[in-house]
Amino acid sequence: MSLDIDAVIDLLKQGKHVKEETVYTLCLRSQELLMSEANVTHVDTPVTICGDIHGQLHDLLTLFEKSGGVEKTRYVFLGDFVDRGFYSLESFLLLLCYKLRYPDRITLIRGNHETRQITKVYGFYDEIMRKYGNCNVWRYCCEVFDYLSLGAIINNSIFCVHGGLSPEINTLDEIRAIDRKQEVPHEGAMCDLLWSDPEEVDTWSLSPRGAGFLFGKSEVDKFLSTNNVELIARAHQLVMEGYKEMFDGGLVTVWSAPNYCYRCGNVAAVLRIEDDLQRNYTIFEAVQPQDGGGNAIIPTKKPQMDYFL
Amino acid sequence: MSQPSSNNSSLNDSANQKLSKKPISINNTNVTRLHGINTIEINAARQMHSRTISARIPTTTTTRPNNQTSPPTFQPPRSITTTTTTTTKTSIRSTHKCNNPNNPHCPNCESIIIPAPVARMPILDTPSITIHDTWRITSQKGTILNSQQIDDWVQNKLKFNTLPEMIFGENYVKLENLKNGWELQFNALDSLKGVALNDSGIRVAYSEKWKKSKRIDHQRDQVDQESKDFDWTYTTAYRGTETKTTGEGRGLERDDELQLPMDKLSRMDKILYFDDMVLFEDELADNGISILNVKIRVMKERLLLLSRFYLRVDDVLCRIYDTRVYVEFKENKVMREFKQFEDDYNNILNKYKPINSRDPKSLLRDSNWVAENIPLVHRECESVQF
Ligand SMILES: [Mn+2]
Repeated sequence: MSLDIDAVIDLLKQGKHVKEETVYTLCLRSQELLMSEANVTHVDTPVTICGDIHGQLHDLLTLFEKSGGVEKTRYVFLGDFVDRGFYSLESFLLLLCYKLRYPDRITLIRGNHETRQITKVYGFYDEIMRKYGNCNVWRYCCEVFDYLSLGAIINNSIFCVHGGLSPEINTLDEIRAIDRKQEVPHEGAMCDLLWSDPEEVDTWSLSPRGAGFLFGKSEVDKFLSTNNVELIARAHQLVMEGYKEMFDGGLVTVWSAPNYCYRCGNVAAVLRIEDDLQRNYTIFEAVQPQDGGGNAIIPTKKPQMDYFL
Repeated sequence: MSQPSSNNSSLNDSANQKLSKKPISINNTNVTRLHGINTIEINAARQMHSRTISARIPTTTTTRPNNQTSPPTFQPPRSITTTTTTTTKTSIRSTHKCNNPNNPHCPNCESIIIPAPVARMPILDTPSITIHDTWRITSQKGTILNSQQIDDWVQNKLKFNTLPEMIFGENYVKLENLKNGWELQFNALDSLKGVALNDSGIRVAYSEKWKKSKRIDHQRDQVDQESKDFDWTYTTAYRGTETKTTGEGRGLERDDELQLPMDKLSRMDKILYFDDMVLFEDELADNGISILNVKIRVMKERLLLLSRFYLRVDDVLCRIYDTRVYVEFKENKVMREFKQFEDDYNNILNKYKPINSRDPKSLLRDSNWVAENIPLVHRECESVQF
């Protein structure tokens, strides 16, 4: 089937329905393209690093607007494109369209939400059922998830990943050796890269929840020196200010979903890395998207009066 | 309602922040300055806020001015009362009054007082109502805590380090009896003080498998055991913070025989004041949810407040702690009921009737459905009459 990517981009930007067979073709093409990418993609500066999107399509459009747009700028997205927001499908497809249209300008890294199991619980699956009445589109997207990269390396100096480090990983080559084309397992290096969190801990620690790792400054310092990089850029955790540097600037959390879940009131950030590796943060706020008639199309959080008992 | 497509694009460019290449310790003053919110953004937020306030005015009022032409600097909401046609029948004896000029116009008219639909940073919305000059009800909604506030709570206010992902630290609901110096408040800080400082023993479903996977024994690096000095589910038996503002006087006393008057509370009496807010929420790293939510509705003769802690650990358990506060205004009577519910995740899932076409797992995201399908474990009741 022929695919007019620019036409699909237009539809997506307006939040309009995209036909099931179009999604199928789009996903298939994306898979073919992503298949050829390494687990850790090489990216050149200047580049803009973006954190979690979580289906907030209108804020994603703002992000592109504030940071130059994919026609002019290179982007690395750190994952968590879907779930929670009302436009997971449109957000993810828009990124795929850009990837197909401008393959060298956009790198998509897998987040812990880009899995079958998590999307079933946190909204993407429900959204597809609501929009299509069946789960085919969800299945197509999940197959693309399995091909997303696990990380990126910018100018051999900045390592990008969704969650963080793994005790099983010392070198970037060990990440390159992972067989990534699968559902994210519950354990092992691939799982850790998507799930682990930085914390003020002295050494590798278990999360109190009983699964998942926490890592501290010493693990970050060790990784930086072993791999001769100067920064780990990751997402995965909500930050009110949009970004947060830790461990003397050796790690940064970038968060790109403003007013997360339409009620947190946080700002969002993207991080632009210049040729000399200077870091520029751009902060942006949530938009109040409207339909053609000027009505808000994201439900406001006006409390719904009810006679609760 | 119409909102300007906004001149935000120019506003935010100035928020681009440059950091030098090699940063930058947290203590560096350059950095702390960057954490603040840009003035222009504040004005934008204020404009947004004033628009949402005017949006609350009942539709019978005069048309609002076109915001497109509003000046870039913030102007406080126009004196709403003067532009509103007063339709109140003066014969109705007033029993309540609005305390916040930002509330929708309500000159003792029994019209509904609803907080702003979107209260965005850095604005706080604080609607309030007083009944019979005795009972004052106030609620406030803000944003989640920022990093500095979180650090402050961790270092100075709480005894554990890993706070919930979203803390609405400025949110509260407060019930006051002005004549008797009594107040009951629901807020996030006090609720988190109720989180146990030991291990709950609860683990996520795949924890055993995860830990048994041989890799942990063969680790090159030593791995610390999980910290067990707080309950990561944030379970709190918080029932509100009771204060006797005069330092003495009556307070709530235990009487489990009491029952809430469901007949009175089931009546569809007109709601004068309504609010619904989250105090804290954490998605347990996508293993479920831990959320504390407070709702209040005030009618002419009584009020009902429901504070619900809901915990769902996927494939492990569900837990609901409900606190209901009921006030009968004329009798100056307060009743507080506390109920604990708990069951295995799968027991609850099995209550799902296939007639219902919903995805059974989505039902477990609905605490109301779970509340109807989970056994009561414990109940207490208290009351006070002034
Ligand atoms: Mn994540």
